[in-house]
Amino acid sequence: MSAFLEVEGLAVSYGPIAAVEGVGFSIEKGEHLTLLGPSGCGKTTTLRAVAGLETPSSGRIVIDGATILDAVQGLSLPPEKRGLSMVFQSYAIWPHMSVFDNVGFAFRVRGMGRERARPAVERALALVDLAGFADRPASRLSGGQQQRVALARAIACDSKVMLLDEPLSNLDAQLRIAMRAELSDLRRRLGMTSVYVTHDQEEAFALSDRIAVMRGGRIEQLGTPAEIYCEPRTRFVAGFLGMKNILDAEIRPLSRESGYAEARLAGDIIFRARDPFASGSAPSPASIGFRPVDVRLETAGEGIAGVVARSLFLGDVAHYYVRSGPIEICAHDRPRPELSDGREVRWRVDPDRCLVLRE
Amino acid sequence: MALRGGFSTETAVGAGLGAVVTWLVILPLAAVAIGAATDTGGLSARPFLDVLGSGRIIANTVIVGVGATAIAVAVGGALALTLARIETPGRALLSRLVTVPLYITPLLTAIAWSWLGSPRGGLINLVCRRLLGIDSLVDLETGGGVVFVSALAYVPLPFLLISAALRSMDPSLEESARIHGGSTFQSLRLVTLPLMLPSIVGSALLVFVQAMGLFSVPAVLGMPSGFYVAGTEIYRSLNNFPPRLAQAAVWGLLLLAVTAGLTWLQTAFLRRNSYATVTGKAFRPRMLEIGWARHLLALFAIFYVAVAVVLPVATLLWAALVNFITVDLDLMAFGLKHFRYVLFEYPKTYLAMENSLVLGVATATLGCALGLALSWSIVRRPGRLSVYLDQVSMFPLAVPSMVLALGVLWVYVRAKALPIYGTISILLIAYLTHYLPIAVRAGSGALRQLHSELEDAARLTGASWGRTIRWITLPLTRPTLVATWSLLFILSVQEISSSILLYTSRTTVLSVAVFDLWEAGNVNALAALSVIQLAITFLALLALSRAGRREGVA
Repeated sequence: MSAFLEVEGLAVSYGPIAAVEGVGFSIEKGEHLTLLGPSGCGKTTTLRAVAGLETPSSGRIVIDGATILDAVQGLSLPPEKRGLSMVFQSYAIWPHMSVFDNVGFAFRVRGMGRERARPAVERALALVDLAGFADRPASRLSGGQQQRVALARAIACDSKVMLLDEPLSNLDAQLRIAMRAELSDLRRRLGMTSVYVTHDQEEAFALSDRIAVMRGGRIEQLGTPAEIYCEPRTRFVAGFLGMKNILDAEIRPLSRESGYAEARLAGDIIFRARDPFASGSAPSPASIGFRPVDVRLETAGEGIAGVVARSLFLGDVAHYYVRSGPIEICAHDRPRPELSDGREVRWRVDPDRCLVLRE
Repeated sequence: MALRGGFSTETAVGAGLGAVVTWLVILPLAAVAIGAATDTGGLSARPFLDVLGSGRIIANTVIVGVGATAIAVAVGGALALTLARIETPGRALLSRLVTVPLYITPLLTAIAWSWLGSPRGGLINLVCRRLLGIDSLVDLETGGGVVFVSALAYVPLPFLLISAALRSMDPSLEESARIHGGSTFQSLRLVTLPLMLPSIVGSALLVFVQAMGLFSVPAVLGMPSGFYVAGTEIYRSLNNFPPRLAQAAVWGLLLLAVTAGLTWLQTAFLRRNSYATVTGKAFRPRMLEIGWARHLLALFAIFYVAVAVVLPVATLLWAALVNFITVDLDLMAFGLKHFRYVLFEYPKTYLAMENSLVLGVATATLGCALGLALSWSIVRRPGRLSVYLDQVSMFPLAVPSMVLALGVLWVYVRAKALPIYGTISILLIAYLTHYLPIAVRAGSGALRQLHSELEDAARLTGASWGRTIRWITLPLTRPTLVATWSLLFILSVQEISSSILLYTSRTTVLSVAVFDLWEAGNVNALAALSVIQLAITFLALLALSRAGRREGVA
């Protein structure tokens, strides 16, 4: 059986500029997918195309067995016929209506009377902790409350898939963390299927079953949060997820050990690195990446020779910048008074913690 | 159930709107061009040569256009600076009074000033002769008079545009000029003035287009002394027997060429000289300290209100109530007999009033609907079609209303498919086209303030496009719609320049009835009818400000 939501070959362009190109993914029922990427990567455009708010030039979207978009056949259901719900970045709470009318809008559109809609509206408001707010005018709500009303509106109408467009980005930091926990709890209780858009990696890790990292209108890598974090495939994904040490390298696969490669860095430094995506031939151009916490610093012994160029003391940890010929790396360690600036050191990285990255 | 085309309703609406603006705007302008080159029977250059031979009238038209624009922009700009940036005593009230001439048709101002300032029977001259024994102190039935009264009428346009620009300028730009050593005057001249230039140029063009094609003021103050301009010439060509249609069209084409050329220049100028520093955001303007001189500036504003509003309205009221025009206090007696005559005996009053009210309501209602639909397509569905809609619906700003009316006349005199010539519908079409830019500007302003996600959310929650507009967009733009409706109603009830070309005896309107009485020399009845017209306007204004206060919260 195919997936619950399936997107294939989606492309959206504004005039000559392609905002989204060949994006495809599929989601199982009850699954939570996050589109993650920097601004301008096409994640919001993708979401709006699924919603029917953008007109894709090509692509196919199927929800629960029903085709809602098929550019080849010229089929595109209008947004209201797609059976979706959405939480907008601006919340989009209608200021001329009460909280009840906002949340119950879907029922009004279906011609259902207020009294028949009341149980569903009140249930949704209770789920977001706004029980008793039904009769308030929507214009008298705080930002956090508006956010909850928007969520209640999306929950109330029993949609097949809920779309969320950076729903937490307009909240202040503390509220954002609290709402993140609530949102995660809510989606588990309701078993909802959702697509979530954000540029915040922590949010993505905390709220997703799978993450699609986007760049320049395409999906660069799709996987579980752990896969994305531990095995970024490309230089861009690694950098976006905070892998601070990324160094250009020439890669030669090791025939003895499949999955590992020899990396030659500038200054003839040789490394052993893991390549989870190895496919026979060596990638080129390529680089290797490792996190600062995975660097072992010693004052003597094995490893690559280097000099501490500068250090930053941050309390529990210290950041050491080490120069080895033409390259410079960053290591995070507990503060070690002996590693003063100018000190000669040796450093190494466990080959399992050092990844081959593609462009 | 499959529905083809994601935004099928909107696409259809957009295409329909494209057809409507082409029909309303492009068709009459094309007709003027064709009409100008057609003499009785065939193509001919004669009308062109005739018109280009009347150098006198061309010069007069330029004098009125340039003179009225220069004075209106200077006075309007000075008033804007005075009332927006200086602690002038009573500036809140004065800011509102200064815009009142916008709601008084220049026809009435001109008539009132012709009574005040005509060389023989003018009230000012009569009073002076009686009290001081001087003959003929002022003479407004001249080119100078036409320029003076036109300028009075158009001051509110630059005032509104320039004060809006002043209010949306970040005051820190000027403050930093002060901190880096500039005096008040220097920072105004070197920082503020250049930043205001787009609004100054824009309002100058707006006034110039109207002043070039003006009919009412030169008709009242110019024609008696043989001072003719293009507007009065178009009117005379058409009222001639047989009507010289081609000649009127050439005048129209000439005006159109000048205003369209200037509009093009302005666009080029703005492309180089508009800065993002003047944003849509409202700042709290920093007040300029100028000491006691602010009292003088307040006097200046009061003087303008007196000359442009109080004096003309008082003259009209006085003439409507006095038994006959005289400055002899012994002969003066007051009564309602002129109102009785106008309301119960003058046969055209009811017809004109009915037509004007019907036209006012229809223009305002259709104008708001069309304006909202157009601005929705322009703001929410950017693309090639929306650029076309935007530009074409702004065209009428560059077209004197008389020229537009001429084109409308041309199209429907011959249109067998749409036999509306001689009906009220032809006036409606002219009014709608002429006021289209106002409706579209207001609509797009309101829609840009309204986050599109408010509409998107309704679509996602199951509402069709039509319901989204009805339940979300309309309620949230209602304050703007109410204000636009009232403005269009007021302007329509006052309209004369296009009405004078398009009316027939069955479809006469208030302004035309006033003009008829003026031509017949029935001074007191004319004053009474003017007062009635003004009363309708001010009642509409009152209703608007009431509605505005009620809607203020939303």
